[in-house]
Amino acid sequence: MSLKMDSATMAFTFKGGMLPMTIMELNSADPERIRRQLAGKLTQSPAFFQHTPVVLSVEKLNEPHLALERICAVCRDHKLLPVAVKGGAEPVKQSAWALGLGWFPSSDGGRGRILETVDTENSKPTEPLPAPQAASGELAATRLYRGTVRSGQQVSAAEGDLVVVGAVNAGAEVLAAGNIHVYGALRGRALAGIHGDLSAGVYCRELHAELLSVGGNYKRLEDIDSRLLGAPAEVHYSAEQLEIRPLV
Amino acid sequence: MAKIIVVTSGKGGVGKTTSAAAIATGLALRGKKTVVIDFDVGLRNLDLIMGCERRVVYDLVNVIQGEAGLNQALIRDKRVENLFILPASQTRDKDALTQEGVEEVLDTLKETFDYILCDSPAGIERGAQLAMYYADEAIVVTNPEVSSVRDSDRILGLLSSKTRRAVQGDDPIKEHLLVTRYNPERVTQGDMLTLDDIREILAINLLGLIPESDAVLRASNQGVPVTHDADSDAGQAYTDTVSRLLGEDVPLRFHEWQKKGLLSRMFGGGRR
Repeated sequence: MSLKMDSATMAFTFKGGMLPMTIMELNSADPERIRRQLAGKLTQSPAFFQHTPVVLSVEKLNEPHLALERICAVCRDHKLLPVAVKGGAEPVKQSAWALGLGWFPSSDGGRGRILETVDTENSKPTEPLPAPQAASGELAATRLYRGTVRSGQQVSAAEGDLVVVGAVNAGAEVLAAGNIHVYGALRGRALAGIHGDLSAGVYCRELHAELLSVGGNYKRLEDIDSRLLGAPAEVHYSAEQLEIRPLV
Repeated sequence: MAKIIVVTSGKGGVGKTTSAAAIATGLALRGKKTVVIDFDVGLRNLDLIMGCERRVVYDLVNVIQGEAGLNQALIRDKRVENLFILPASQTRDKDALTQEGVEEVLDTLKETFDYILCDSPAGIERGAQLAMYYADEAIVVTNPEVSSVRDSDRILGLLSSKTRRAVQGDDPIKEHLLVTRYNPERVTQGDMLTLDDIREILAINLLGLIPESDAVLRASNQGVPVTHDADSDAGQAYTDTVSRLLGEDVPLRFHEWQKKGLLSRMFGGGRR
């Protein structure tokens, strides 16, 4: 059914979104070196360079001043569209803004802060995650959903953990790049580590899941030991298979 | 201000139309000016259940397409004052309904009625979504059966995302659960889901429980809403349901299995 009334009354709406974003991790601030490497890549995979938006990550560079304008020009020459800069010191932030680019704080700093307050036993290892999507913005990425996730509904956390305070009913699907916590019955499908994070897990108060998956390794309800059903459980990937344990 | 209530379920054959007719009758018997609208274009049944099938001239589609006025299409119930029926078309299909047309009809009805009941078609397609779109409250009809509960769960998801209240960010639709065809004996034997199972999965307020009853079938075939059969268990259960809809606190009945004693077997008991 058309939802025209919405757009008719409001000029715009703000929506939280998680878009896949290519991060260009710079190991060198020399525009000429970047140009040479880009030229090589362009001939290998021309399809990639179609005004693709990229975030320039300068986290690995320890230089307070960067030739940001020239780096951006090199990117644009090769049909890459820099939209933001990630990391760097105050002068970098200011010049990014001056160039009309967004600026994201360095995720290393953010991560350090988080680790101070979170029980380290349950937190994820700090090595970079395999997929590029998972490497951006680990901060504040936990998604909280209150209420019942109903049949036909899909709730996902594209970057971090997903916490559901309520039940996930049969026919519903919950997905997260990180861990999934369900404070209620899990009757639907739960897919943790959707970008390949094998250290992710699924935790629930009552296990009846139709399907459980961590980093693409899954088990169907039929494969789950029936003694584990109906009780609190946790699911992890270990020894090349999904391990489901009672949660005590 | 009139209240628009959709009677919906997802699954077909669970008792939507029976419930819409019975609750509309119950509301009218309590003095509320009520209209019940059949949204099941192409498969109209409400007029049969209400026993007014011989008096249908114009229908909802005629009104929306401007071929008849609303007052020409409304059928006055013969048994209860204050009760009107707006039938569906049997010859058109659901595409004949437009969102703007439905809104106009509902807005006009709001001026004169206390309660507007929308009897939704089965499914989750256009017809069902139109029936629920403008609703203030929803009665979700569910049988004690796994597939019915799952379809109701799906409908609850749509109610919280595809209705005007959801789209415009107003207060959410008030959701009520109505369990029908409940057979306490078969529940005890494990053939049917228990009331507690259903309530746990759907997690919404219970409005009523209608026992499986011969009275319902009899009422449907006679075209007399079962609420009029005040001696029957189903009729009483619908009366209780209407009271709860009006905000009264009525204890739940008919949900426990009582083995028939010698006396009730001899005299037939109160429940038929």
